[in-house]
Amino acid sequence: MEENRNRSELQEEQLPKFRGLYRNVNISVKSLDRIIGVCIAVILIVVALELRNPGFQITFDSRGGTDVPVQSQMYGELLEEPEIPTREGYIFTGWYTDTSCYEAWDIDTDTVQSDMTLYAGWQKLQ
Amino acid sequence: MTNPVKNMQRAIADYKQMNAKDQKRYLTDMVLNNALYILMAIFVIYTAIKQPNFLTLGSFANLITQVAAYLPLALGIAGCIVLTGTDLSAGRVVGLTAAIAGVFMQKADFANKMFQNLPEITLGWILATMLIVVLIGAMIGLVNGFFVAKFSLHPFIVTLSTQLITYGIILWFFALNGNNGQPISGLSREYKDFVGGAMFRLGGVAVPRYVLYAIILTVVMWFIWNKTTFGKNMFAVGSNAEAAKVSGVNVFMTTVLVHTLAGAMYGYAGFIEGVRAGSVAASTGLNAECDAIAACVIGGVSFVGGTGKISGIILGVFVLRIIFVALTMLGVDSSSLYIIKGAIILCACALDMRKYLVKK
Repeated sequence: MEENRNRSELQEEQLPKFRGLYRNVNISVKSLDRIIGVCIAVILIVVALELRNPGFQITFDSRGGTDVPVQSQMYGELLEEPEIPTREGYIFTGWYTDTSCYEAWDIDTDTVQSDMTLYAGWQKLQ
Repeated sequence: MTNPVKNMQRAIADYKQMNAKDQKRYLTDMVLNNALYILMAIFVIYTAIKQPNFLTLGSFANLITQVAAYLPLALGIAGCIVLTGTDLSAGRVVGLTAAIAGVFMQKADFANKMFQNLPEITLGWILATMLIVVLIGAMIGLVNGFFVAKFSLHPFIVTLSTQLITYGIILWFFALNGNNGQPISGLSREYKDFVGGAMFRLGGVAVPRYVLYAIILTVVMWFIWNKTTFGKNMFAVGSNAEAAKVSGVNVFMTTVLVHTLAGAMYGYAGFIEGVRAGSVAASTGLNAECDAIAACVIGGVSFVGGTGKISGIILGVFVLRIIFVALTMLGVDSSSLYIIKGAIILCACALDMRKYLVKK
């Protein structure tokens, strides 16, 4: 009798609780609660750590010219006028958001939206 | 049922009748089941305090613009999730279709134009391009759907392989005609206007046309999901494929069509992606499926299969976007956003399972 009951209990435990993609998942509500708690805690800790950082990093790739220091700016702010790099045999034509120097960055109007790298444009001296 | 005030009153009355232990459990359930919404509320309040320009019409316009961009992908992938599957190829399909649309839509006088002998950019050619990329997306979806339905392969395997194959094709495509992997830029004005032209302005921020297109797509998808036999079959196959087969549903066709429809959605998403980003690179669309899957799971399109609502998907996309817009405004770095995204997906799945278990 006792054994029978145990067996049926066992069978009940072995029955899949879920359908679909969770078919083979065997988990209790308690552990799920813990997972949810841990996830939320992780998110909050990551955000808290991040908020100690000053903002977006804007790096300047001078592409063969002199180095230009990295800037940190918050969302929606203008860049501080970066140093003008120099390179032997070339004239500096401005900062661009892409390596092919097609999209120019306007220091006076363009605002920071995310982390980014600006590339120096160079024109060869004749 | 439809009166929220009465519902609330009833809930409060129920709550008062419980004993202390039940009350405590009820509260924990409430907090846990709404954990992500509470998290969102915390971020919104904190951002609003720190950045006064967060709660403005302009940032609302920015939010709906982003939602409109991410919604088509989520609407497509949701069908695959309803069938207890998923689609890992979504992001790369967006990349491929964005690249093709971008090349077709380059300015005639652009120095780096990849193909010279394309038609002039007129409304007709723009619409034709849209149709072509939607068909390309649908074709990749058809391949996914065929292998999933015909051989009962798990969608993870099939879509993982199409993801990689599509990426290979993208890299090939970028190397064509001496382009050698440069990003595709110099998109024509007509194309930019057609997709991203301002309809009106909210607080000084333009609301692009693709917001309207996203609304139309949502209505169409709602109709397909709720009012057509195909939609009903999809839910039947998702909740129990065997039972659906017995009751006369064509499981093969339904599975193929769901994936094809999803592919068409990715094609459309690719069509707007180029304008949104300004140019198309080989990495365009990378990991886009993760956001879409996360949005679906948050919105209650369960991995259990056979459940989900269009309204839930919209809600899910909104929640995810609100969290990310708030975090971006706070200056949270993109590397941390990946950790947060991962935690949100795990959390949403745990919540999904929890709801299912508690209900049972």
